[in-house]
Amino acid sequence: MNDPYRVLGVSPNATDEQIRDAYRELSKKYHPDLHSQSPLADLAEEKMKEINAAYDEIMNMRRGGQNSGGYSSYSQYNSQSQYYGDFAEIRRQIQNGNYTVADSMLDNPSVPRNAEWSFLKGSVCYARGWLNEAFTHFTNAVNQDPGNAEYRAAYNRMMQARNGNMNGSPYRYYGSPGGCSTCDMCQGLICADCCCECFGGDLISCC
Amino acid sequence: MFGYIRPFKPQMKFCEYDAYKAVYCGLCKETGKSFGFLLRFTLSYDFAFVGLISLALGKDGTEITPQRCVAHPLKKTPCLACTGSLHFTAAAATMLVYHKLKDDISDRGFLSKTRAILLLPLIYPAYKKAKRNYPEIAALIEKSMKKQSELEKQNCKSIDLAAEPTAEIISAVAEKISDDEKQKRILKRMGYLLGRYVYIIDALNDAKDDYKKKNYNPFLLREYGFDMEKIRAEALDSINFTLGELANTYSLLDLERFKPILDNIIYLGLQNTFMSVLNEKELSK
Repeated sequence: MNDPYRVLGVSPNATDEQIRDAYRELSKKYHPDLHSQSPLADLAEEKMKEINAAYDEIMNMRRGGQNSGGYSSYSQYNSQSQYYGDFAEIRRQIQNGNYTVADSMLDNPSVPRNAEWSFLKGSVCYARGWLNEAFTHFTNAVNQDPGNAEYRAAYNRMMQARNGNMNGSPYRYYGSPGGCSTCDMCQGLICADCCCECFGGDLISCC
Repeated sequence: MFGYIRPFKPQMKFCEYDAYKAVYCGLCKETGKSFGFLLRFTLSYDFAFVGLISLALGKDGTEITPQRCVAHPLKKTPCLACTGSLHFTAAAATMLVYHKLKDDISDRGFLSKTRAILLLPLIYPAYKKAKRNYPEIAALIEKSMKKQSELEKQNCKSIDLAAEPTAEIISAVAEKISDDEKQKRILKRMGYLLGRYVYIIDALNDAKDDYKKKNYNPFLLREYGFDMEKIRAEALDSINFTLGELANTYSLLDLERFKPILDNIIYLGLQNTFMSVLNEKELSK
């Protein structure tokens, strides 16, 4: 197996805290929610297993063979199973990368146009890279069945992208090239005001 | 090609910028050596990026030495040694330049039309050579260019579909960069999304012009008619979806080197270039 420290991108001298942070950062990056509609979902899952194994190995070494526990929770992730009927077969086709087959099955007029239909149609579009159309279908799926966690996750991921979020960016903390927005400035001022008030002073007299 | 895939310089370290320039330099030399002097002037940032990725995935071929060249005849500049590692990138660039010129003849203004008519026969031998080296890529580009003109004739309204031919070309080029099956799959999707990005940004850039000249542009076929504000909003959404999924895909790639430079291009450069086009700022050369 690869060097577990290299997998997590940390030095062998890193503290437990640093290793935990690196692990958390990476597991966010490869989280199944971010990759579930991608044709590369299996590769993300592989990466996830790799970092889980690396994290467990390091923690086991450091604790002298004790079980580390706690942080392997992501590996148990599984999208809701228990599907039935036509949709189960369509899902199987999507999973195997047969998008044309899945799409023509979805276009069959006998298949009910419910929330799951919208979600699966969106998934096919997403895998093909037709992201604008995928978003329309995911939006419909969430509107038709607002309580479904799977549809919600797909929709939320696209909403985050729509707001300009890019997974794994090391520049998140520096802000975007545009710099500090008006919103950031107001937030900063309000924060500064609260701090001043804590110490008996005041920065913005009206609040 | 278009020059939209470029780094965001203010956030680059000097050493990163030097390495980036050396790769650009190396690609320019390789293009000159393999496909002729004239092709050197057609290089763009987009192919510097393709070259960078192909070097970032490989184990060798990144020897940088000070060299003299046409652009810098007096002072030696750091440049990547020509070891053939960029041969494919140079060939792909050559084939795309040829097709872009061919495209210019059919639907651009008088000036670029004349330029294209004059240049095309000069570039043709280089195109033939590149085609001989990579026939399957040349065939795919030809097929996609045909598909593009068909979509245009049908006045395709869907941005997803209109972007597909460009996306498929970059996808095929990107996939060819690596021999590893896993990396190939990742590069294929990355290429698709990058091509989609390039198409959308170019369509937005040309929207006003195309409206005046009554050219095809998917952004001019919206239900809301010609409204630049709404077109910008729709382009922004389309780009953000694309970049979001591009970042997911890029995070799976196993990079041996140049990660900070690639991070800069993927996470800052693409967004920044798009914002410049969105706000109608002039892009630097």
